[in-house]
Amino acid sequence: MDLSWVVSGVALLVLIAWYVSYGAARLDRLHSRVEGALSVLDAQLVRRAEATLELANCGALDAASALILASAASDSLEADTADQTSREAIESDLTQALEVALGEDALAHLRADEAVGAPVLQRVTAANQRVQLARRFLNDAVTDVQRVRRKPGVRLLRLAGHAELPQTFEIDDELPMLGRGD
Amino acid sequence: MRIGIVSPYSFDVPGGVQLHVRDLAEHFISKGHHVSVLAPADGDTPLPDYVVNAGHAVPVRYNGSVARLSFGPLTAARVGRWVESGRFDLVHIHEPVAPSVSVLALWAVDGPIVATFHSSNLRSRAMQAAYPLLRPSLEKISARIAVSEDARRTVTTHLGGDAVVIPNGVFVERFASAPRRPDWQGTVERPTIAFLGRMEEPRKGMPVLSQALPHILREIPGVRILIAGPGDPDDVREKMTSQAAAACEFLGPVSDEDKARLLASVDVYVAPNTGGESFGIILIEAMSARATVLASDLPAFSRVLHGGDAGELFRNEDPVDLARAVVALLRDPARREQLAAAGRERANAFDWSVVAEDVMAVYETVVFGRPPVRASSEPDSRWGRLLRTGRNSGGT
Repeated sequence: MDLSWVVSGVALLVLIAWYVSYGAARLDRLHSRVEGALSVLDAQLVRRAEATLELANCGALDAASALILASAASDSLEADTADQTSREAIESDLTQALEVALGEDALAHLRADEAVGAPVLQRVTAANQRVQLARRFLNDAVTDVQRVRRKPGVRLLRLAGHAELPQTFEIDDELPMLGRGD
Repeated sequence: MRIGIVSPYSFDVPGGVQLHVRDLAEHFISKGHHVSVLAPADGDTPLPDYVVNAGHAVPVRYNGSVARLSFGPLTAARVGRWVESGRFDLVHIHEPVAPSVSVLALWAVDGPIVATFHSSNLRSRAMQAAYPLLRPSLEKISARIAVSEDARRTVTTHLGGDAVVIPNGVFVERFASAPRRPDWQGTVERPTIAFLGRMEEPRKGMPVLSQALPHILREIPGVRILIAGPGDPDDVREKMTSQAAAACEFLGPVSDEDKARLLASVDVYVAPNTGGESFGIILIEAMSARATVLASDLPAFSRVLHGGDAGELFRNEDPVDLARAVVALLRDPARREQLAAAGRERANAFDWSVVAEDVMAVYETVVFGRPPVRASSEPDSRWGRLLRTGRNSGGT
């Protein structure tokens, strides 16, 4: 009787140890996926802002549009990367600035200018597409972390340690008029 | 970039996923990337030199149909060796939940992983039963791609999270350059329409076309129906009026070349499919060949045809509406020409050069600043993890 208690006690301990090490490794992997995805998004947002600055300075847009774009882009480049909420607002502003600046006439004008306008527009389009991708991949990773960290075992044993619970990155990044040939 | 692509299905038999993998690999190779494809195959099948044999494929009944899959310890070991020797910047796994090389690769790899979901029916009992086991390895995927809106919906409802939609590609030029065949071309008196696909499969729409034929023949008695695809012509003729049966010409299964020539030659290509299509690759092939397309208004078809700009739509499963549309098109050469031109233009959006660029954008986003792929680092990776996952599944 005694012995079987000991055996099941040891088995239980082994099981818990297994669970802890496995769960911790799984969470660790998920957290590093989020960190990786966040740094990718960060880099793509910088690229988008730089491409927008280039667009503002290319001379193919009217002065007012150029000024709106330049101000939104430099806000983005100077944003405090640690403050996610304000950064989300700044990046959505940049999207909206692109949306108002790139009206039908401006787009036609840029596309016709094969030397400067078209390639710059192409860079903005590509950069925005990559922002969309990077944001979606980040949010997928964040959702996975949040789901695993909600599990009772993970919460009870504090497997996540002191790591902050990551949040999805919510911005408007739709620029339908740029299209993608679709 | 060094790219490793994993196909779960054997290259011995043609299929949508295999073709997708082959086309993608060949496109990236032509762009100067290093590509290695891991796929099951039988020992004596000649394989393209970029394909690595993952092991013998066994026909298995899975998810309602028979697939040729490869699994077991020997295959797992080959997958491990392929990952170690490949020095890939990223691994792109197709159908990551297919119980074959894909699942094994997902377990064996650490690092940048892209996964493409093709199927729009994942909801198998096996999938749900094994879900706790698969979950942790699915969490390793950095980027998910779905080939259609329907496949994406499957991903979001069954796996959670989201997926980027990047459709299948078509080598538009292969179809655009197909020569016409005079005996398949229509005349004013004897116009031609074409149907492609398995005729005994009702969802391909042969019954709808059969019912529409008497109405069409009443208006245009000389019309010829060219039917290409596997199936028994007598079964089809049985269900038609004798006049309709006489108007049909059965070509049997056709080669890729003849398919392109048929599409290029006929006056109207009809796709009366009644459902179950997640994506209309055949419509894109037809548009590439400059065919005038008439298709049922399934959501997938309507999207491909840009809501009717690049081809005519008729009410799904409505033979009378189909007949009306066929007759109107056959009597209006200018409209046909206009649709064919718009379709040819539209097809460019689905050319591999465009589609593969989108895939490359995903690759670049995923590998950005990350170390390349390595074999799973945990010492007792596969079986140990399998055991442990099994034990803690109660908590999920």
